[in-house]
Parts: sequence; structure tokens; C-alpha cells
Amino acid sequence: MLGERRIGALLIVSTLAALGLAGVYIAGGQPQAEGALLGVALGGIGIALILWARSLTSEGTVVGDRGSLAHDEDAAAVEERIEHPPAEPGRRGVLKLFWAAGGALALSAVFPVRSLGPAPGKSLLRTAWRRGSRLVDVNGRLIRVETLQVGGTLTVFPENAVNAGDSATVLIRLGADQNKPRPGRQDWAPQGYIAYSKICPHVGCPVGLYQADTHELLCPCHQSTFDVLDGARPRFGPATRSLPQLPLAVDNQGYLIAQDDFDEPVGPGFWNRD
Amino acid sequence: MRARAAAVAAALAVGSLAVGVLSSGGGAAAATASQPAPSSDVEAGRQLYLVACTTCHGGDGAGVTDRGPSLIGVGAASVDFYLSTGRMPLDRPRTQAERKRVDYSATQIRQLVAYVASLAPGPAIPKIDPATGDLAEGLRLYANNCAPCHSSAAAGGALGHAVYAPPLNRATPLQVAEAVRIGPGAMPVFGPDTLDDHQLASIVRYVGYLHHPDDRGGLGLGHLGPIPEGFVAWVVGLGAMLVAVRWIGTKE
Repeated sequence: MLGERRIGALLIVSTLAALGLAGVYIAGGQPQAEGALLGVALGGIGIALILWARSLTSEGTVVGDRGSLAHDEDAAAVEERIEHPPAEPGRRGVLKLFWAAGGALALSAVFPVRSLGPAPGKSLLRTAWRRGSRLVDVNGRLIRVETLQVGGTLTVFPENAVNAGDSATVLIRLGADQNKPRPGRQDWAPQGYIAYSKICPHVGCPVGLYQADTHELLCPCHQSTFDVLDGARPRFGPATRSLPQLPLAVDNQGYLIAQDDFDEPVGPGFWNRD
Repeated sequence: MRARAAAVAAALAVGSLAVGVLSSGGGAAAATASQPAPSSDVEAGRQLYLVACTTCHGGDGAGVTDRGPSLIGVGAASVDFYLSTGRMPLDRPRTQAERKRVDYSATQIRQLVAYVASLAPGPAIPKIDPATGDLAEGLRLYANNCAPCHSSAAAGGALGHAVYAPPLNRATPLQVAEAVRIGPGAMPVFGPDTLDDHQLASIVRYVGYLHHPDDRGGLGLGHLGPIPEGFVAWVVGLGAMLVAVRWIGTKE
């Protein structure tokens, strides 16, 4: 039949494609060729199945004859079971079993709840910055007073914690007299250097976009915009809190250091933050 | 006669040595051009400047309020970058100077560069050979410093105040190096103390690689990320599935 030949040819092609896929994979792999061969292999089987269903199976009702029961004793036993069913457990007993099952389930839930992990304690309130931590860039190079020009920016970390995710900080150099420090922060930005946490207080994306002409830090996720000259106060977007500022100083060898950790927790809010 | 000639020669030697010592002392921090341009270039550049640039930048280069910034001290790198990319001269008022048709010949650009650079010391045109850069180091530096604004495949990205970081596919290696060193427009500036010349060469080499990246996954679709990829999946992929479902259901 023509239909069978067509289906057979499709399945042969699909088999060859699957073998070819194995061959390409062994030979080192090539993503586009592998994808095409996999598509032909799977598609061949799928289309063959559809063609089989459409053309080879017959339509309409087919009546099959059920043979009679072998012995008359079997027929009598079936009649007896239908007319006199055996006793079953009463409703009370079943209710007790429900209680037992529910209780056992609740007991078993204790174990996954225990593995939710230790409570964070105070770890959300502090970062890896300490009094006197020297600033380094992502390669571990120490930041000196002459490292940035006015209008330059770098991402910095504490010297011994370059991989600390909560300590990523944006370092920016402003021109003289551009900064308008908040009360109590007059000595936090020596020689134009100013540093803010890089973690957005909205949902925690890295605030890495610095617009040097308008002195704004922009978060790429939801476009919160922070005014660098005004303590990183949010000027636009969903963030409602300023970026925490890292107090800076210059040590007697000319390296930039942190005076202390941030004065508030970094990143998005949490229910017991304040 | 001989002694007098020798004395003149000695005086000239001492005098030029003194001039050399004195002129090299002032260039250390600002990286001025090591040799001043020929005065013919400076004068020709001044004539070109007076024709096309004074309306916004002033007859003396000091800028005009609410029209154009001062060009005093911007350096040869700035002028070369803005002119060779066609950003300047502006064709109409714009929020951001954009790459467009270059209006000057290479000679004219050289002359304008010479004139503006002569106004005051500023960043010189960097000498960067991308072949000396390290591609892997360039990837790391680019990802840390450039990708937030220019996107990981240099396809550009939006910023605030109707400004955007442009795609880098048309930038020459020199233009990339100049932009990094001057920080044009909204871009921050990365001087030689922030990224040294080898790091800059690595970044320039990596940006050059991004012009034709190795798209392992198939079509690049403009390297814009999940949005065009999702469009293809939903429209082409799901559309094909709907057609197949319809075919399965139709009678022979």
C-alpha cells in the first residue's frame, strides 16, 4: 500500500537522522547540525504516527464478540457476589483512619521545614567592610588617590573580600565642590571620591550604570535613578530608599580606605530591617 | 672661525637641550602631544574652526552659554573622536551627539585637531595596538566596566534623560580607545591610572571581536537578548505547532 511505503520511508529517514546525530556528537558536536538532525529524527517519528493514525486505522465501530464463561460454577459464583456483597468497614473506622493519615502527614512535614536553613541572625545587617578596609578593584589592585580622574568610576570591594556579594561598591570621583554632603557626612568623600553600595534597594540588581554628565546612578532592572550628588537619593523609579554610602578616607600611604561599614543594611528591604 | 663655529654649535646644543628638558617637564600628568603640530596645520585648522565652529564654541574656543561647551583643554583625542565619528558638527539640536556622516576629510580633521589641541594641554590621541591586548582579559574588563551600559554584546543600551549608550559595531579601534580615555557625553572617563594601556588594548581587542562574535547558539538576532528570541519562539515555533495541530485534526 502507498500509505505503508510512505510511513516506512519516513521512519528510515528518521533512523538515519538519529544515527547521524550520534555521529556528529561523537565527532565533536556542532549545535546547528545536531539541532537539525534531532528535529528530523523526532519529526519523522511524529509524522509517521500521524499518518498511521489517519490512513491505516479504520473508521467506525467494530464489534468484538466476547466469549461465554467457561464453566457454569463460575457463573453461579459471580451471581452470588453481586447479590450478597461481603462486609465492609463502617464509617467510624474510616474516620479514624483519616485522622491517622493526616497526623502522619503533618509529622512528616517537620523534616522539610527543618531544612529551611539557619536563621540569618545579624548577617543581613552588616557587610564585609570594616574600619580601615582598603579599597580594591575586581582584580585585587589597591585604589590610590590618583587612580580615578574626575568623572571616572570603578567597582570596588574590601581588600580581603573581593568575592563578597554584599560588599560590591561603586566608587566615583567628583570634581571639587560638586558634592553636597548630607548632615554628618562632610568627611565621607575625600578629594572628590564618593562611594555607594552597588546593590539596589529595590530588588537588589547591581546599579552599574553611571551617567557622568548628570551625576546619576541608574539601575538596569527597573530604572531606579539615584542622584550621586545628594547621597544617592532616588530621583526616579521604584526604589524608595537611597543607596547606602560608604564613608571613605585616605590613609597615610595614599590608599583609599573605608572609615567603617555602611551605616544601614544594603540591598532590598526585609521585614525586620528597621 | 672654527672656534667661533664650535661655540655657536655648543650654545645651540645647550639651548635646545634646555628647551627639551623644560617642555617635557610639563607634560607628565596631562599626557600632551609629544611634538607640537606644524604651525601650518594649526593655522589651517583655525581657519576651518572659524568657519564652522564658532557659533556654539565661541571665537576663542571658550564655549557659548547654553549652546556649546568650552574646548580649551579637551585635547586632541576629543576632537579626533567627535570629528571622525561624525558626531560634530551637529546637524540639528540634539539631546545627544550621535554618530553620523563625517563632514571633514582626514586632512581637515588633522588640522582641526591640531588647532584645538594647541589651545591648552589635554589628552593626546592614544596609541593602542589591539593585537597586543589579551582577549580573555578584555572580556573581563569589558564585563565589569562597559557591559552595564553598552550591553554584553556591545549592542548598546538605554540610559536616563533620553540618552543612550550607542552600539559599538561601527567604532574603529582608535575610536574605542579615544572614547575610553575622554569619556564623551554621559560616559565616565577611564584615564591611564584607571585602566593602563595594556588593559585598554585588551578592551579594544575584545570590542573588535564583538563585531563578529562566535554565535554558538545559532542566529544572533541582533544580540539583543531574550526579547527577539522569545518573539521567534512564540511566533515561529508556536505558529508551526498550531499548523501541525490543525493538520492532525483534519479528515483525510
